[in-house]
Amino acid sequence: MMDTLSYLAPLLQFKVILVIALGTLGGLVIGALPGLTATMGVALLIPLTFGMTPVMGINMLIGIYIGGIYGGCVSAILLRTPGTPASAATVLDGYPMAQRGEAGKALGMATISSAIGGLFAAVVLATLAPQLANIALKFGASEYFALALFGLTIIATLSGNLLKGAISGLLGILIACVGADPISGVMRYTFGIQGFSSGFAFTPALIGLFALSEVFTQIERLAGNEPAIKLVKDRWPSRQDMRESRGALIRGSLIGTLIGIIPGTGSGTASWISYNEARRTSKTPEKFGTGFAPGIAATESANNAVCASALIPLLALGIPGDVVTAVLMGGLMIQGLAPGPMLFQTNPEVIVGIFGGTFMATIFMFIFGMALIPVFSKILMVPRRLLTMAIVIFCFIGAFAINLNPIDLYTMVGFGVLGWGMQKFGFSQAALCIALILGPMMEANLRRGMLQAGDDVFVFLSGPITLLFLALTILSLCWPSIARHLARKTKA
Amino acid sequence: MSKNIIVAAVLATTGALPAYADFPERPLQIVVPYSAGGSTDLGMRVVADAFERQFDGIQVVVRNQPGGGGAIGTSAAIHARPDGYTLGAGAQGPIAIKPHIGGADYVIDDVEFIGLFARSLQVMVACSDAPFSDYASFVAYAAETAPQIGNSGAGGANHISAEAFARAAHINVESIPFGGSSEARTACIGGHIDAMVASPAEARAAAEAGQMTPIFVMEEERIAMFPDTPTAVEMGVDFTWSSYKGLVAPRGLPDDVLEWLRDAVKQVAEDPEFIATMTEMGEFVTYEDGPAFEARVRADGEMAHAVLEELGLLGMNN
Repeated sequence: MMDTLSYLAPLLQFKVILVIALGTLGGLVIGALPGLTATMGVALLIPLTFGMTPVMGINMLIGIYIGGIYGGCVSAILLRTPGTPASAATVLDGYPMAQRGEAGKALGMATISSAIGGLFAAVVLATLAPQLANIALKFGASEYFALALFGLTIIATLSGNLLKGAISGLLGILIACVGADPISGVMRYTFGIQGFSSGFAFTPALIGLFALSEVFTQIERLAGNEPAIKLVKDRWPSRQDMRESRGALIRGSLIGTLIGIIPGTGSGTASWISYNEARRTSKTPEKFGTGFAPGIAATESANNAVCASALIPLLALGIPGDVVTAVLMGGLMIQGLAPGPMLFQTNPEVIVGIFGGTFMATIFMFIFGMALIPVFSKILMVPRRLLTMAIVIFCFIGAFAINLNPIDLYTMVGFGVLGWGMQKFGFSQAALCIALILGPMMEANLRRGMLQAGDDVFVFLSGPITLLFLALTILSLCWPSIARHLARKTKA
Repeated sequence: MSKNIIVAAVLATTGALPAYADFPERPLQIVVPYSAGGSTDLGMRVVADAFERQFDGIQVVVRNQPGGGGAIGTSAAIHARPDGYTLGAGAQGPIAIKPHIGGADYVIDDVEFIGLFARSLQVMVACSDAPFSDYASFVAYAAETAPQIGNSGAGGANHISAEAFARAAHINVESIPFGGSSEARTACIGGHIDAMVASPAEARAAAEAGQMTPIFVMEEERIAMFPDTPTAVEMGVDFTWSSYKGLVAPRGLPDDVLEWLRDAVKQVAEDPEFIATMTEMGEFVTYEDGPAFEARVRADGEMAHAVLEELGLLGMNN
């Protein structure tokens, strides 16, 4: 016990705490700006850490990471522009709430949920990291394939009209085929255009799909002069909102923590699965997608839980769970600290410092987030016409800034038109988005698994984790009819 | 009015041309063809830092242009205006290998080599639960069954190096492509593949933790970090491979600018703080001038050509 306290010494210095606070605030702003992602924030500031102590430098980066993933919800809720892919699912309920004038409450719900998810995962990180990390090692090609397949069943429950949802999902999977083949490296459907050789860039596609398409829809509506949205001043969700969201928060935190441990899945996947689970288990699933607070609670608690839990395999095994933790790993290597089981023995003060820093960053995120809500909400006071133009500009800046590749602008506009058309004719943009995330994961792992097993399909029907996810897949597909059956029974 | 602009423009260009003493007058830009945060990116950020420390008042900006396995950013650097202000991170995959696979709009002849300041050494490691644990058992196993060797992407540098070794050692391997080196590393530590090519820094940390076992080093001589691990050369296989970090530019730089840049890279490569940071990151800091760098890339390119031809990947994406 005494030891642990002395390990905290490098963390509990004014300088270090100040740097964590600044990092979190900086991350929040970066995440809130469309096109600037947490990854970029962390990577760009790594050189600043060269001169810092390891605990200070790494915790600054973790602050940016946590702030950045949270910050993505701001533009998702206010402008329907997911600032990071992690908050794409937040658009579904956050934006309708903001349109109703409850932007403050939506942001408040997102902030509280992010803090709860983040703190939950931080507790798990600090107490169970070495034990849970081994989950990460269990995932081979067939496990990833089954997980992706399970994820794709979300489309069935999320899209309302099953046929149109399936079409959107399949379209997404086809679109995800563009670019280099994941196994052989052959270019597919790039038509010789070099800019498409890695496929359509994901963030520009999302910005087009959700933000630019909304601009088109609004321009259609703008014929009449709509008044600006009146803001309801609240920023704290009501007691009823919190009661309705309790289940979503618990499930979101758990799902986010588990998905975060599995390397290579990330916060986008976690928030969609969490959203789907919240909706599936809700008594009022029809309210989801219309601006329902538990929808925000589910996605935001999950994506912030991923932040802390992605650190579990990184610190315990030296395996980065997502892009940001890969960058963090680089930051640690520069300090001469190779993450892995040995770090717990050779530099326990760094490990304890990172645990503590994760808590602090989450708390700072909550404080700054709540304090800034009135400022952020003011954006909606801007007259519609001006705001729409500003969003268009942000769409272009965001789509370009991420890879500095002009072709991404075409991608963004193309997906904008596609998203507008889908919205107009009742096809689910969410289904397309999920397929874009999970399609490549499913394909690469299917093919890799076949390659490794010498083309033996049965490898995909073996192993407890694979079978578990396949069972969940079947259950998830049959759930609506099971639920109907049960409902009829209880009525009778 | 327009006359003034022309005069100003003429003055500006003549002022900028014979500019050994004046170069650089504005920030230099290094195009990194990968996302921020990878080892090439971090290396270039350390270089940028060292540039700014060595030369007062010079700014160096790192610009990330990822995509296409590095071909997009490399193309942007090589096709930039040849004024010395836009440089590229000369990465092995996009420069030496990509042109042979196709889908890149440049060849090695389009590249001006400024200098190389670090090499990234490579170690073949056995993964968790692999059926071999040293060079002899690896080769013996490979004689029976092709070991599954993970790499960070089809046609990438460590795909080619594993296949090139197999060719030199007359064994068969089965290359398993992953989406990036951290995915391959995860599969390796989890025991889902038999072996992979790793950097000494990551291999050492993982070896200490018992997650990986070094099999051989792809150098002429043993390296300080793994004094007990043999090289392929001493096991009788004529095979060495390393990737590198260097600077490239478009062809056609003014002579004095090229000379300034080459001197600058040399100076940076000898900067003690630069050496210390790069070494912490697990890079092997060494300096090679432009022609030596070019010769190295061409040799790699030839080896890649032979391997790709055998794998049937030559010109695949043309």
